[in-house]
Amino acid sequence: MSKKYGVYICHGCGIGESLNIDKLSETASDEGFAVKTCPAFCGKQGLEILKQEVAGGVNALVIAACSPRVLYDTFRFDGCIVERVNLREQVVWSHPRATWPAPTEEQKDDETFIDHVQMMASDYLKMGLAKVKKIDLPTAFKLDALSRRILVIGGGITGISAAIDAAKTGYEVTIVEKEAALGGNAAKWRKQLPTEYPFEKSTAPVIQAKIKELDNFPNIQVKTSTVVARIAGQPGDFTVTFKKPGEKIEFDVPFPLPPEMKVDESGKELEAEQLHARYLEYNQGRQDILTFDPNGEKFGAVVLAAGWRPYQPQEGEYAHLGFGASPDVVTNAQFEAIAAAGKIKRPSDGREAKSVVFIQSPGQGNDQDFPYASSVTSLVALKQAGYVREDYADGKAFVIYQHMRTPGLTENYYKTVQQDPGIFLTKGQVVQVSQNGAGLIVNADDTLLGQPIQIKADMVVLATGMVPATKDDPVINLAYRQGPGFRDNAIFNDYADSNYICFPYETQRTGIYAAGGIRRSMTTEESMEDAAGAALKAIQCLESVNRGVSVHPRSGDLTYPDFFFQRCTQCKRCTQECPFGALDDDERGTPKTNPTRCRRCGTCMGACPERIINFATYSIDSVSSMVKAIKVPSTDDFDEPPLRVLGLICENDAYPALDIAALNRLPWNADVRFIPVRCLGSVNVIWIKDALSKGMDGVFLMGCKHGDDYQCHFVKGSELAEIRVKKIGEALSSLALEPERVAHFEVAIDEYDKIPQMLQEFMGTIEGLGPNPFKGF
Amino acid sequence: MAERMLIEPDLKFIKDVGIVGGEDVKKCYQCATCSVVCPISPDNKPFPRKEMIATSWGLKDKVLKSADPWLCHNCGDCSTRCPRQAKPGDVLAAIRAQAIIEYSRPRWLAEAVNDPKKLPILIAIPVFLFLVVGSITGLLNFRPDLSGGIAHYKFFSTWLVDMHMVPAAIFAVAVFAMGLKRFIADIHQNALDEGKTDKQTVEVGGFIQALVRVIPTILKHNKFSECTENKERYVAHLLTFWSFVGLFIVTSIIFLVLYGSYLLPTGPLHGPWSQLNPVKWLANLSGIALIVGTAIMIKARVNKPDQKSAYKDWFLVYLAFALGVTGMGAQLTRLAGWAEVSFAVYFLHLIAIWFLIAYLPFTKLAHLVYRTVAMAYAEYAGRKFTP
Repeated sequence: MSKKYGVYICHGCGIGESLNIDKLSETASDEGFAVKTCPAFCGKQGLEILKQEVAGGVNALVIAACSPRVLYDTFRFDGCIVERVNLREQVVWSHPRATWPAPTEEQKDDETFIDHVQMMASDYLKMGLAKVKKIDLPTAFKLDALSRRILVIGGGITGISAAIDAAKTGYEVTIVEKEAALGGNAAKWRKQLPTEYPFEKSTAPVIQAKIKELDNFPNIQVKTSTVVARIAGQPGDFTVTFKKPGEKIEFDVPFPLPPEMKVDESGKELEAEQLHARYLEYNQGRQDILTFDPNGEKFGAVVLAAGWRPYQPQEGEYAHLGFGASPDVVTNAQFEAIAAAGKIKRPSDGREAKSVVFIQSPGQGNDQDFPYASSVTSLVALKQAGYVREDYADGKAFVIYQHMRTPGLTENYYKTVQQDPGIFLTKGQVVQVSQNGAGLIVNADDTLLGQPIQIKADMVVLATGMVPATKDDPVINLAYRQGPGFRDNAIFNDYADSNYICFPYETQRTGIYAAGGIRRSMTTEESMEDAAGAALKAIQCLESVNRGVSVHPRSGDLTYPDFFFQRCTQCKRCTQECPFGALDDDERGTPKTNPTRCRRCGTCMGACPERIINFATYSIDSVSSMVKAIKVPSTDDFDEPPLRVLGLICENDAYPALDIAALNRLPWNADVRFIPVRCLGSVNVIWIKDALSKGMDGVFLMGCKHGDDYQCHFVKGSELAEIRVKKIGEALSSLALEPERVAHFEVAIDEYDKIPQMLQEFMGTIEGLGPNPFKGF
Repeated sequence: MAERMLIEPDLKFIKDVGIVGGEDVKKCYQCATCSVVCPISPDNKPFPRKEMIATSWGLKDKVLKSADPWLCHNCGDCSTRCPRQAKPGDVLAAIRAQAIIEYSRPRWLAEAVNDPKKLPILIAIPVFLFLVVGSITGLLNFRPDLSGGIAHYKFFSTWLVDMHMVPAAIFAVAVFAMGLKRFIADIHQNALDEGKTDKQTVEVGGFIQALVRVIPTILKHNKFSECTENKERYVAHLLTFWSFVGLFIVTSIIFLVLYGSYLLPTGPLHGPWSQLNPVKWLANLSGIALIVGTAIMIKARVNKPDQKSAYKDWFLVYLAFALGVTGMGAQLTRLAGWAEVSFAVYFLHLIAIWFLIAYLPFTKLAHLVYRTVAMAYAEYAGRKFTP
């Protein structure tokens, strides 16, 4: 596009008082940009100026005012590139003149006076100008053919609910269920937990009514005794092959080679051709992922509602609770089956079980619950305690828990159950379950009763959890190069998820939306609500893909990675590192892009050693140019030139955290310059090299926390960046630069108050190392 | 740590506690707010939290055989602050009601007194006794000679009165004696089991000394005044308590004077006594205190829908109120010269008195005995109950 530039510097919100606007304007006009200033560009007069400019042909606007995170719609001009230079938060509010004084009248023309704040404003403006020169307006990626059909995997309560919700909005839906009948786990219970206000009583299962409701929807197709052999392609254009369970067909999904098969006997990495040969051998009888099934059905998006299975303790597990030793010690799923079949009888001798102890936590010195347990296992214990009371007027049910979780209005259910005179609840640790004649003896410590207790029981029930279906099997069977399943479920306790707290329904694969027990252990009521959420996400996917915009989390982003294939060396790093499996490669290793699978994080761009992956508005060159636009003062400029440090910061968490710090007027070091990045995963090491070779004294990356509570919007970006930083450290040593000059920080969005201190400590390290020896070259 | 306790919940006990006002016990989730806010609960093994779980688990012996429920004065601080509306104050009251039934014999009588359906029979007993014995002995005269002024003894002989009241009192004392013997043994064993005392045995001398030490507390109602809720109950209970003390003194004096005067040559000194006699002053003062005190109690119970009032509660306050009203009524109608009305009211008064005495060990009023003993025991055991 041919660009006509305009630079607009705002005086408002304290910018005019702190900065020399004339001098700043000169910075831009010296580079040939037309500059306009205004007391407040967000005001009526200011907006009028901007509109006139756009009407006059300006299509690349650099607005130096407030943070791009505020007034987004005010400064949005369709068809124009708008670059926001954050003078207000990152310069003025965070660097008060009381600490960094402005030059006095006498100092104004003094060349040796260092005006830190003005220099910073000047740098940020120049970075904005550099960027705007390098970026383009994006054009949308459009699929050749778009399918609007939604596939629902799993015909349990969640899948059926999701199908009905999607069908109500007019979409074509297909449900696949591996069993011969619909219903799943929800059809196996005597009663189910309450589904509606006042949430006081367990009710008859709703599943049968829900199955009947399907008849009202001609746009829902049901395939029972069917599983997904493979899902190939990308959102909006999936090609799905179905098969009977257990069947072996050529369109069964191939699996990637396990790591041990990728090397030869001496442990050396195999060549591409050899790898491909092995891959074919490993997957003999199966078509490669890039071969599409000509008879496959087309779908646009998938709701994954494959549910869960009851956790089955292994042999010897929970021996102290008598599991395995006595047939009268059962799991809650086994107990439910007994209850569904009739009155509760002891499995050992068929006698009435009138005293039942429900154990919620295995004990043995810690307060952990059983694996995959949750509030559902608490609620189920309450429900099943009710069965004992229903069946026997003199029945007694004891629930011994470390955690009794009854979230939301299910607290009403807890209260109702608690009122039953024959149900006894206590926090406590069960230490031993042992045989006592024909019955059992349960010993528990640390109870609310103030002393160790002993209960005679006919049966003992262990509150084992709900294992997501994806734990045992990929289920979705994606024909993706990274493999058929989700790659990083381990960081989400095996559930199909993509963030430890945010982005419900989003999995690690775009276009696949998880709901129900596969996503988190949940009740029937929660699953039905969850189904609606996933159905809406599937619809959002279709209605984004059709317009060529990103679905999530950069919803509405028109950009997508553009590969300059002529220079590709087939290193496969992009294919391997993409957190969403968006890239497939052919037998030679050349990546095949699937833009609608992409979430536009730029991890591929960060990974590419050849730097051939770029976005229209975010590229290796645009960021490099910004780095190079930063003025690095040397001894030519000042006797004691200030240090310069580059901060590449995640725009999802770290950038807003900085804005909040500024809003709270928390000052930070004036020698740091920030460049926002889409994700730390998108950071290409060339930017770090650019900064250091330009003489900058240090570089740090600031991104999301990883570990147990992984907060990255793109699943793995921050972690990848840390690995890359470690690797670059070795390269720096060879250049006689200290590895400490490059650092990686983790910050959560609410830790804004800690950022100034983090920066100060890093600056302390850099000061200790001294200035970059390459300065001035 | 104490040894492992075998849990055998008594479902009937939970139900019974519910019937007598403790039906919210199961709502407790053991936050212990009650024990924290209770102004009189001791630091070591405080109540009522532990009583709440033990009751909701149906551990009958653990609560009925403990002195702690009796230390509670039911001021309601705990119930007001309970986040789950489990009403610990009412639960402890219900536990005490169950304990009264547990420790009194015969058991069937205890259950009858606490059963509203049996009330007509209980009332019929004194009516029947009075009428039958009165008719047979001729001590009941429906047409007395009133030439010397209206006097109740001419209608209902004092012999006939004491022929019924004295055995009833002896019966009550005997029931209490048997109950207390078990009660003291049980609460001591419980205190030993739960680590609430370092005394190995209940030594009589020390126990009596402890009793003497707590008497002033009881007389001054110190425990009541520590409560923040239900201040008006302090006044009501104080009035009622002292009215009973006053009436007991008056009755004792009249009893002694009457039977002593049989030795006099002029013959027995029958009532009514002169309004100028200081004993009469005390009688009238106590009567008024009884009516006022019980009236406040009734009003408070009616106006407090969040506090449970079970049959046992209404039974006692109305009985005490009736006692005061019929007593005062008999006097006022006598002074008004309405002989027949006065005799009828006096007859009712006597029924009320007999009722109170004979059924005392089975009614809520038995707390007079059990609480006093429990407080004395706590003092003896070193529960740091009295400040």
